Amino acid sequence: MALTRRQRSRLVRWGVYAATLALLAVTALSVDWGRLYDALFDWDIAKQLFPDVLTVAAKNTLIFTTLGFVGALLLGLLLALMRLSSAKPYRWFAAGYIEVFRGIPALVTIVLIGFGLPIALGVRVPGIYGPGALALSVVYGAYLAETIRAGIEAIPKGQMEAARSLGMSHVRAMVTIVIPQAFRVIIPPLTNEFVALLKDTSLISVLGVTAATLELTRFGRSAVNTYANATPLIVVGVVYLVLTVPLTRLAGYLEKRSRRAR
Amino acid sequence: MRRTRSWMALLLVLTLGVAATACGDDDDDSGSTDTTAASSDTTAAAGGETAATLDGVTLVSDGELTVCTDSPYPPFEFEGDDGEQTGFDMELLRVLIAPLDLELAPTVTPFDGIWLQPAAGTCDLVGSAMTITPERQAAALFSDPYFDADQSLLVRVDDQDTYATLDSLAGAVIAVQTGTTGEAYAQENAPEGAEVKSFDEAAAMFLALESGDVAAILQDFPVNAYRATQDDQFVVTETFTTGEQYGFGASLDNTALIDVINTRLAEVRDSGEYDEVFSEWFGEAPQ
Repeated sequence: MALTRRQRSRLVRWGVYAATLALLAVTALSVDWGRLYDALFDWDIAKQLFPDVLTVAAKNTLIFTTLGFVGALLLGLLLALMRLSSAKPYRWFAAGYIEVFRGIPALVTIVLIGFGLPIALGVRVPGIYGPGALALSVVYGAYLAETIRAGIEAIPKGQMEAARSLGMSHVRAMVTIVIPQAFRVIIPPLTNEFVALLKDTSLISVLGVTAATLELTRFGRSAVNTYANATPLIVVGVVYLVLTVPLTRLAGYLEKRSRRAR
Repeated sequence: MRRTRSWMALLLVLTLGVAATACGDDDDDSGSTDTTAASSDTTAAAGGETAATLDGVTLVSDGELTVCTDSPYPPFEFEGDDGEQTGFDMELLRVLIAPLDLELAPTVTPFDGIWLQPAAGTCDLVGSAMTITPERQAAALFSDPYFDADQSLLVRVDDQDTYATLDSLAGAVIAVQTGTTGEAYAQENAPEGAEVKSFDEAAAMFLALESGDVAAILQDFPVNAYRATQDDQFVVTETFTTGEQYGFGASLDNTALIDVINTRLAEVRDSGEYDEVFSEWFGEAPQ
């Protein structure tokens, strides 16, 4: 084959394109579209899910997510500062906490906090959203701690030194100079964690759901039973996207803006 | 660049392979493999003579009766000490299929919508303490009833005077399992101000009752009664006669399999084998 390198790579690329197209065409031809529509895109069923899918299910998913994420941020910041602290016990505690709650599946933590705490200690987390939101905060606090720590460590030492030489205390320099810059650095991973947390709210239903605490996934699953059809799952999937896509766009915008600010 | 070329060849082969499998997908509406089980003319040592044959019965996997069950749900289905699924449903099914040269292959499936599983090709039969209801009969073919079950209330021993009846639960939380007849019964009959909380699995309901998260569990009487004998912190306070009966469910077009099950059910009721299994799990002969 007396081809130049460029010709060869072009040939390869078009080969891949052609193969992909052929695959798509074959798939499209072999799918029974009528049955697919009946099972997954039944418009009449989809219409019946509104407005409840938004006013009840999406609302509860968002409440769980917001409470869980705010809690996780505060906990994560605290743990990150403990890990960076000069006091050894703090460092050990934070490291241990992060290892444990990153290592345990979220579902187990949810069951432990929802049922384990009351059975073992007689402690009950108040509120209908309380146990689920707290469990998610506990799990995601561990993840966010590492993210935030990485952000703080990414800020050049000179920033802290400059602030200290202006006469700021260590704490004040952290709060006004280092942490704000750290958060700017970690917007992308924070967005990732937020989306992951939003999807993990579907695990909370293991604690039992009432008409008031039904969230999206569980709503979809019970509707699948009611109608003996998978359309509700597609609807719920779309609603999840409607919640997450604008958020990732917003994060992208914030990222751009903070790049300009530098 | 030899590497590039062999890589392309691999991709092509892969594409063709996928295409071939996609084309081979014929448009009949059975999701399962078409293995018609060989009829068993040979009399198995275990069960003696039976009028039932597997002629025309299509099974999900050859030589096995694949059964969807929401285990653990003692005493009907749960994992025994040897790791095998056991319980009244499982042992009755084993007795039913003994002369048919079949192995029981339980598949653990959440109860929520379990009667739709045979139609999806997940299993041949649902055996999961499942009440026969008109709604479920629209989506699954049921065998003759094999068990009578009513609903009941399970509460903590300390609360047995406070929550003696369903009506006393006004303002309290009642646990039910998603997709069950108990859930429907609670939603229709719970007193004003009581909150109905649905759980995915029975195990979570017992945890919730123990932790004080709920005041009572409303579900099938045999399950609550069995739990109360196993665990002295719970007690059954009220039973509701609903005339419910359990049946085994198959997909709507699987009359052949349901015929076999019904034939065998009649045989084991006549032979006394049914009563044996019953008293093994409930300590007394059926009423």
